[in-house]
Amino acid sequence: MADEATRKAVSQIPLLKTNAGPRDRTLWPQRLKEEYQALIHFVEQNKAADNDWFRLESNPDGTRWTGTCWFIHELLRYEFQIEFDIPVTYPDTAPEVAVPELDGKTAKMYRGGKICLTDHFAPLWARNVPRFGLAHLMALGLGPWLAVEIPDLISKGIVQREKRGNTYL
Amino acid sequence: MAAGWEEIRRLAADFQRAQFADSVQRLSERNCIEIISKLIQEKKLDVVHTLDGKEYITPTQISKEIRDELYIHGGRINIVDLQLSINVDWVHVESRACDIAKSDKGIQLVLGQLIDDTYLDRLADEVNDKLQEAGLISVAELCKIYDLPGDFLSEELLKRLGKLIQGEMDPYNRGVIFTPVFVARHKARIRGLFGAITRPTPVSIMIGMFGFQEHLFYSVLEELVISGRLKGNVVGGRQDKAVYIPDIYTKTQNTWVDSFLHQNGYLEFDALLRLGIPDPNNYIKKRFKSNKLLFLRAACISQMLVDQVEASVEEAVNSATWTDIQPILPSCLSVEDVGMVINQAIRNTNVHSSARVLGDTFVVSEKFISNCLKFFDEAMQHKAQKDVKNNPVFLISEEDLKHASMLNESTAPSKKEKKEAERKTKTTVGSGSTKAGGGGNAREIRIRKTKKKGRRDEESDEETGMSMQDRGKQPEAVFMSQEDLISVLGERVSDCPEEILYELAEHLVRPLNKTYQEILREVSMSSTSTPSRANKKKSTKDLQEEITNLYNNIRLFDKGTKLFSEEIQVLISKHILKTLCTDVTNILFNFLAGDMMMSVENPKTISSEVRVKILSKLPEDTRAPLMKLHNCLNGRTTEDFLTNIEACTEVCGFMLKKGDKKKERQVLFLHRQALMEQLKESEDPALVLHLTSVLLFQASTQCMLHAPGRCVPQIINILTGRIPTEQQQILSTYQNLVVKQLVSQSMNRKQEEADQSEEWDEEARSVQHELLVLTPQVKDLPLAQKKNTTTEFFPQKI
Repeated sequence: MADEATRKAVSQIPLLKTNAGPRDRTLWPQRLKEEYQALIHFVEQNKAADNDWFRLESNPDGTRWTGTCWFIHELLRYEFQIEFDIPVTYPDTAPEVAVPELDGKTAKMYRGGKICLTDHFAPLWARNVPRFGLAHLMALGLGPWLAVEIPDLISKGIVQREKRGNTYL
Repeated sequence: MAAGWEEIRRLAADFQRAQFADSVQRLSERNCIEIISKLIQEKKLDVVHTLDGKEYITPTQISKEIRDELYIHGGRINIVDLQLSINVDWVHVESRACDIAKSDKGIQLVLGQLIDDTYLDRLADEVNDKLQEAGLISVAELCKIYDLPGDFLSEELLKRLGKLIQGEMDPYNRGVIFTPVFVARHKARIRGLFGAITRPTPVSIMIGMFGFQEHLFYSVLEELVISGRLKGNVVGGRQDKAVYIPDIYTKTQNTWVDSFLHQNGYLEFDALLRLGIPDPNNYIKKRFKSNKLLFLRAACISQMLVDQVEASVEEAVNSATWTDIQPILPSCLSVEDVGMVINQAIRNTNVHSSARVLGDTFVVSEKFISNCLKFFDEAMQHKAQKDVKNNPVFLISEEDLKHASMLNESTAPSKKEKKEAERKTKTTVGSGSTKAGGGGNAREIRIRKTKKKGRRDEESDEETGMSMQDRGKQPEAVFMSQEDLISVLGERVSDCPEEILYELAEHLVRPLNKTYQEILREVSMSSTSTPSRANKKKSTKDLQEEITNLYNNIRLFDKGTKLFSEEIQVLISKHILKTLCTDVTNILFNFLAGDMMMSVENPKTISSEVRVKILSKLPEDTRAPLMKLHNCLNGRTTEDFLTNIEACTEVCGFMLKKGDKKKERQVLFLHRQALMEQLKESEDPALVLHLTSVLLFQASTQCMLHAPGRCVPQIINILTGRIPTEQQQILSTYQNLVVKQLVSQSMNRKQEEADQSEEWDEEARSVQHELLVLTPQVKDLPLAQKKNTTTEFFPQKI
């Protein structure tokens, strides 16, 4: 499902231990703490590999997350807004990441811009509850999806760079 | 709990911080490659990547590495090896190598190899070592050893010659280097060797035998020859064929030639060739420019010898003897050359006409030959007379035939001469005695016939063939055989060698035969009887007269014939044709045959077969009319014949005179007279009847008649009414009697075998008797008639 590099990256992300959703008053902070630690580790790891590709921040409760992600194709940077909520059944259910800008532009997406991860990612996640967290979601969910979809969309001319902010290079 | 959230906030802050912290600016490998390729594309960076693509390398680094490699490899490295060790694309290596070779004077690019001066110096050192060891070294060899092009190598070596290499290069042949010591040794050997040579020696043999270096050898040898150290010449340049000829040899050669010529008076080309003079002819011409030498095919001889020959020739001519030139001349001269010398001598002494060369080497004066001829005069006379006595006619005719054919063969004699010869032939033919001549000729004809059957294919040149045949079988006419001549000459001319006698005899045979024939002819002419000659001689004029007479007779007879009925006309005409006309034709043919040497003594004997033979040999223009004439003889009327005979006589050159009235009458008279004479003398009743009837016919019609015997009844028939009845009666009775007698005679012959009856005998006897009685009466008929008219002619008889 993912390439060797991703696999390697994922293997370095620390696995989570606490099995608690946002409804669980007592254990959720514990879980959130672990989520943050994993994310920090993942980001640092990415930066260290010159492979930084997203920004994330959450509300104080840690239940709703927003940010940006970008993809570099043929030396050009394409940037998209992302957002998702932590479902109440978390971590049994994986959060559904949405890229609103691409809503209706590709078939691999549900209404509201939620990317379609059911085929590959969902089974993987299900097998790894509760050890997988948000960092894994980014690395194994959104990352591969972008890698597959964005070049395709660009080549179809559906996504164009002018609309997307400043250039990196 | 609160502490937990506090910690979460802290972690969130950390997370933000971590996210916004500057990411390490680290380029991934692919970016780097992309950046660099971009830079190379935009010519902002000049680097070359290695073959495996893992490294980039700058051109200067390549140059440096090349230099390093070159140094490591000892000053010589192949670009391919360079490329392997530097591990950069070949193009870059080569271009850098070129740059280096161009920019650095000490480094050269040869055959895809970089070579620097240190290497070359080292090479030169090595070469020098080898050179000092061997004394000589060839560039080609070095090329093989060092695997370098010869031009480059020799150039580089030349640069170092005298510095690093102690030696020199052959100026003529740049492919060799040698040391002065070696050259000196070489030179010494050549000098010694060639100084010792005394005869022409092919240089190549010396080279092979003594192992000289060919390239060096020629220059050294030339140098030595030019400087005069070696006395000799090299002929043939710098090739294998070159030959060294020492001066001493040339000198001895010349002295030998001089002395030989001086002593012997001649020079043989073969001898000079053996001495090793390749072109003796030119050599002699060059060497003895002033001497007058006579050049022959295989030798040349001095004027002195020629003078000797001339002197002896002159002497022979003057003293009317002969001389043999062979002993005077050197024995090595070929017969051909001797001939040349003799010719030259004869030309010089101007005795062309009075000298003759026999047996290749004998000069004989013409006087001598004529003297020899005289020896035979007497013998000739004797022999001629003997021969003529033995078999004169045969001899003469044969000889004449030969004579004529000889004339025919040689185109030289003029027409007049030819005619004369013909006339001579005729006369001589005529001169022979009748019987023998005729017989001889007849035999000849027969011989010719058989001959013809034998070789039909040669019919065209029948005549020459015949003449040759004749000559072949006429040894009788030859005076003396060659052997006899030789023996006679041997007796007369003493001290003559056999061969000259033979030649002389050969030479004499023909003139002797000729003169002998002449003598023979003279002798035979004088010996043959004159009267027969006078009788038989028929000149053209006689012939013409004869022909004319016959012609006129024929015409007159023709006239008489016309009086008869057509049937009988044919009979009579045929008779005339068979008798008179054939005679005329035969005379003509015989005359023409005379031209051809085929004439017959008695023209009447010529048969139609013979005529055809003669016809076949006649020339085209006479043949046609004569052929017609010949054919007419078998015709039914005389008219054709008469027209043809005119044409033929013209062709033969005769004139036919048509008789006038007076002449005609004369002829008539003569004819009658002749008939009467005949009548008077004849006793045979049938002949008497025939003559009488003819005479009566002529008397009554004034026309001559020439009719066969069986036409007598018809003549008598015609006479009925023209002569008196009593005469008529006598004639018819006589006729009856004649018939009876003829019948009885034939009966008698038949009955001879059977028993002869008395009756028949009786009857025959009575007829005989009656005939006897009646004959004078019948004879009297024309004679009496004659008497009436011209009594004075026949007064004495009734």
